Amino acid sequence: MPTVSLRRVVITGMGAISPLGIGAEALWQGLREGRSGIGPLRHPDAGRLRVKVAAQVPASFDPAANIDERVLPMLDRTSEFALHAAREAIAQSGLDFRRNELGMRTAVVVGTGVGGETTQDEQSKRLYGENSQRAHPLTIVRLMTNASASQISIAYGLRGPTYAVASACASANHAIIQAAQTIRFGLADAAVTGGTEACLTYGALRAWEAMRVLSDDTCRPFSVNRRGLVLGEGAAIFVLESLEHAQARGATILAELAGSGMTADATDIVMPSAEGAAAAMKQALGDAGLNVDDVDYINAHGTGTLANDVTETKAIRLAFGTQAERIAVSSTKSMHGHALGASGALELVAVVGALRDGVVPPTANLDRVDPACDLDYVPNVAREMPVRAALTNSFAFGGLNAVLALKRAP
Amino acid sequence: MNDTTQQQVFEIIAKQAKLDVAVIKPESTLKDLGVASLEAIELIFDIEEHFNINFPDQQGANFDTDTVQSLVDAVQKALDEKAVAGEGSE
Repeated sequence: MPTVSLRRVVITGMGAISPLGIGAEALWQGLREGRSGIGPLRHPDAGRLRVKVAAQVPASFDPAANIDERVLPMLDRTSEFALHAAREAIAQSGLDFRRNELGMRTAVVVGTGVGGETTQDEQSKRLYGENSQRAHPLTIVRLMTNASASQISIAYGLRGPTYAVASACASANHAIIQAAQTIRFGLADAAVTGGTEACLTYGALRAWEAMRVLSDDTCRPFSVNRRGLVLGEGAAIFVLESLEHAQARGATILAELAGSGMTADATDIVMPSAEGAAAAMKQALGDAGLNVDDVDYINAHGTGTLANDVTETKAIRLAFGTQAERIAVSSTKSMHGHALGASGALELVAVVGALRDGVVPPTANLDRVDPACDLDYVPNVAREMPVRAALTNSFAFGGLNAVLALKRAP
Repeated sequence: MNDTTQQQVFEIIAKQAKLDVAVIKPESTLKDLGVASLEAIELIFDIEEHFNINFPDQQGANFDTDTVQSLVDAVQKALDEKAVAGEGSE
């Protein structure tokens, strides 16, 4: 690998649809104010579900705004989120993909845990519940896992490598890494990437209930009175470019995506391993050319489950040694919930905000620190501090770890 | 009866294609009316749902290029077959 000269990759646009509102700025402002996007579950079947809370995109979200009315019927909720977030990110980047045929040199890689869950649920209800003989003819184009990536590609004429990445709760980070590497190795000059999820269907909620990992009130990562995770939904999409491409056009650079690490635990399908997570963090540091004393902030996977919080704490200690105690660590899932395949992307918005504004978003609902979690989790209130470099962790069911390393804009 | 079927089919087409129903002529094709292939499949679905009929799987039929009249005929045929089947089963 060191024989080829690798290009540096920067972020020049971001967009989001999240429980904290419409737009990346709404998400970031909400997080730095420590606001919660978690509330009572809004769902037609809420009355017969055990799950009572979720982090949902506000009901004011209008999927039809700015989307061609001929495209709308083809979109699952996942693709609606992704297209809206992509539009915002691309507008911020100021890129014109028609210019110099940039569209030919632009990749689209979007992570999603399950893809068109809403469509799947609706059509299953129709077929099995209502004994209909017919599925809707757009079922396949709506639910296919690559639908979001393909819709973004079509909407903006992006003709480079385009596909979906699925790795449960690490999908967004894995997708962003694939997009970054495509630029790094010279296979594209720009990429549109991130994650999207819309998984709050009756069927999926029942399946999560059955796993007994859901909190019945709120999400309290690293707190001894934690009660589990809170499911969320949303999307965040970024525009990545090679550093030279961004500089040549005088673009405003939000942050540098300096490196990444990916490992698998190869142990258990659900129980995380500190060694696997630590190896991914160390790999990300090495890849980004960072030392342990360069990192000021870690956006934790921080689901608010006992299994995650204690293991992740151990993993950070394994990767950073004594430096672990100096680093600000927070779980923004305490506010935007766990949007599964979109989480890493929502959390990257938080990390870009932290690097850009010098503010670390807090871990909300941290009432009483679990003695087994002995790091600085930035409880409840954001902290103003310079952030030179940061990691953001995603650890998925299946034992899959994907970590991004970010630096301030060069 | 035939007119009613035709009128209902025309209205479904007008809704899908976002056209005034008056511009739809029996000799128009869906392609003429700007209904692209995936939308044509949606339209067939809407018609099946509306009349509670099932078109046979396409064997050479091309909904894009056939006339609207042939679509109306297909609906009428399916309705007639359904009526006969209904009588037979009683």
